[in-house]
Amino acid sequence: MRKGLSKWMTKSIALLMATTIVLGGCSKKEGNVTSSGGDKAANASEARYELDPETPAWKLDPQEMTELTWYVNADWWNSDWGNDIITKKIEEDLHVKIKFIVGDDTTLNTLFASGDMPDLISVFDASSQVALKANSWAQPLYEVADKYDPYFRKVASEETLNWLQLDDGKSYGYANYSNTAADYESGLINTKTAFVIRKDIYEALGSPSMGTQEKFLNVLGQIKTQYPELYPFGFNAFTTESTGSMGDPFQDFIGVPLLDDNENFYYRNLDEDYLSWIKTFSEAHRLGYISDDSFADDGTAFEEKLKAGKYATIMLDGTPQSSGFLTSWMNANPDAAYIAIDGPQSTVGNQPTLNQAGISGWMVSYITNQCKDPAKAIQLFTYLLSEEGQILTTFGIEGVSYTINDEGKYVLTDEAKEMQKNDNDRFKKEYRIGEFFFFGHDKYKAYGEEPFPESIKQLNEWGQGKLVPHFIIENTSPDAGTEEARTNTAVTTEWTTTLVSLIRSDSDESFNSVLESYKSFLKDNGWDAVVEIKNQKIEKNKQKLGN
Amino acid sequence: MSKKRQGFLKTVKKQAGLQSMVIPGVIFMIIFCFMPIYGLSIAFKNYTVVDTLATAKWVGFDNFMIAFRDKFFWKSVVNTLGISFLKLLIGFTIPIILSVMIYEIKDGPFKRIMQTISYLPHFLSWIVLGGMMISWMSTTGMFNEILLSLGVISEPRNILLDADKYWLIAVLSDVWKEAGWGTILYLAAMAGIDSTYYEAARIDGASRIKQILHITLPLLKTIICLNFILTVSGLLKSNLDQTLVLMNSQNRVKAEVIDSYVYRMGITQGDFSYAAAVGLGVSIVSLILLLSANYLTSKINDESVL
Repeated sequence: MRKGLSKWMTKSIALLMATTIVLGGCSKKEGNVTSSGGDKAANASEARYELDPETPAWKLDPQEMTELTWYVNADWWNSDWGNDIITKKIEEDLHVKIKFIVGDDTTLNTLFASGDMPDLISVFDASSQVALKANSWAQPLYEVADKYDPYFRKVASEETLNWLQLDDGKSYGYANYSNTAADYESGLINTKTAFVIRKDIYEALGSPSMGTQEKFLNVLGQIKTQYPELYPFGFNAFTTESTGSMGDPFQDFIGVPLLDDNENFYYRNLDEDYLSWIKTFSEAHRLGYISDDSFADDGTAFEEKLKAGKYATIMLDGTPQSSGFLTSWMNANPDAAYIAIDGPQSTVGNQPTLNQAGISGWMVSYITNQCKDPAKAIQLFTYLLSEEGQILTTFGIEGVSYTINDEGKYVLTDEAKEMQKNDNDRFKKEYRIGEFFFFGHDKYKAYGEEPFPESIKQLNEWGQGKLVPHFIIENTSPDAGTEEARTNTAVTTEWTTTLVSLIRSDSDESFNSVLESYKSFLKDNGWDAVVEIKNQKIEKNKQKLGN
Repeated sequence: MSKKRQGFLKTVKKQAGLQSMVIPGVIFMIIFCFMPIYGLSIAFKNYTVVDTLATAKWVGFDNFMIAFRDKFFWKSVVNTLGISFLKLLIGFTIPIILSVMIYEIKDGPFKRIMQTISYLPHFLSWIVLGGMMISWMSTTGMFNEILLSLGVISEPRNILLDADKYWLIAVLSDVWKEAGWGTILYLAAMAGIDSTYYEAARIDGASRIKQILHITLPLLKTIICLNFILTVSGLLKSNLDQTLVLMNSQNRVKAEVIDSYVYRMGITQGDFSYAAAVGLGVSIVSLILLLSANYLTSKINDESVL
């Protein structure tokens, strides 16, 4: 008995020792990861089919089935494959099976550190450190395309790829929902910012203008006396780092310039026109038209009040995201639905320059150095970027999930509509419409019959022609991890506090003193260095945008 | 030397059965608790998402210096200490008083209901509780209604926007949430007190209060000391969930604690090295606090609980 036990013990120790050595081995592998990956890609055989710039390569590839791993830097990503009509169709067309890995930055770091890289990687934020160092772990898309799938150049947006160029002049990733200047002009992209008022109140007050500061205060005063149970004026929730809709969205709304007269960085928060409106809001607060609760409410609290129609007027940003709440209020009170009006206007005659998702887009997808089958990977990019792929991911399959009506619009089949309404979980699982959005783009939404809910239709109509690209000031924050980035964060938080203090100030004197102390805060904390970086980045943006 | 070694091996062999149960655990500890300590070296490196431990550049104490020279970091240290000391003062004593009170209630449904009610808030997450607190403290919320009807204030004010009250809000809400849960350890210890002590005391004519002061509390001394040491070592730790939910742009000057600051400056920007450096610094200070608290209590107690 004893002897058997000791033998077992020796064995188990040996086993554990072996495990230790193996684990230790993992950490030793690290050093040569990137280089070996690079060699692998370089040595990969030429395309296994005849290239044809007029035909997408997935139609030429004789490969039976490829399995790719795809890392998505989001815990919430649905990692299912092949169980819904959309991924099933992709699998049939491209002969590809995808195994998704999901996680956060730590998971991603583990993948890098272990050297066991997935074939494809999608991250958020084109200005993150992962994206900025993409040349060490990803393959330049144009080079892969020239080697395996020249048709990629036909479907990919050159502007988007240029924008994502790193300092070496190559583009490694492709961003979804990246809007180009042409998209802004096409009229297919809708605004997301609006000044809204409850229709019943607007009509009861005789459709007044709220354009000037006196008229604005006057209307809020009338609301306060006639509708004492409502908040006369509301806005998106403040957080410690964001000023809700009272910062950039409001600046865009009254058309604060993006750059100064010399085409350099312009600190929009200290714009005279903007600050004079902030002073008006401060007066409104003193008169009780703005509740203190609006500064303490979090997003959920704001949404609940929105859903209950508690605000008479709102400076609203992110109208598509709010559409659910607006819809439930409108369904319950059709006559009191929120409508967009011209609202506050510039005191110096600027026109609104509303913003939308910019050219940087949302998620960026890459083909890694260690990709087993770069040919298949680029085919997948091409396929999803083509109109065929876009319609598939946005509407599904004709006859199964959508039909085209007499007007040429894409409508969901009755069966799909029914399921979406009654069993949304099953609908998401079986159809997965609009959720496979690695290469999604807003312009395809317009193909649909009813791309937007009734509640924000009027808001979208109001916003027609008011969008102006903000590309020039996109991604101009200092790189993460630098001294300037820390200063920038400190300044951003301080500004949030300052803006709230400005609106809550109880006299003009205290308003001015809060503003002065913010200006000296900027001076004392090295803001000039941040401005310098921003100017450099604006210069770079100008080059990328070609002007 | 070799004889000693042989002796050691002999002992190991003799205890083979027991050793086989211990050794896997020890190896498990080495792999999962001690080997990762090596990862702390990122505190001295410039480490980003795409780096490995081997490729990241050494930067010495740079990351520590960044935090050291940063006045906003020091503000968060002040807030952390302020809130923690208040929590130590109030949050440490209330569970003791509460547990003695619960112990003194006669067994029965009332006692059980009391206990359950006092545990309840512990099971609500700060996300849920935070939303409740925000609405309670709003101008139309519960607290303002009460104060208005009592005539204490004439105009409703949003309490959460008042930075000067934040420490108190943070401490009291935390005490309210955790006090009931904190009694469990004490109640368990009290259950172990020999009832003959109380009988003897009653025969000698000791009042209820006397019994508490001379029997219950002295016998709880060890567990109180242990709890004290653990609380003191956690002085630099703060409740991140609570801070993230209750902090807003106006009370931030008083609400920002080390954890939330590091979270904002380090983690959200992918600056792992900075976060690791501050974490390491906090751990070292906490260790010092732990050891000094242990030293202090052992001086008072004549025995160490650690």
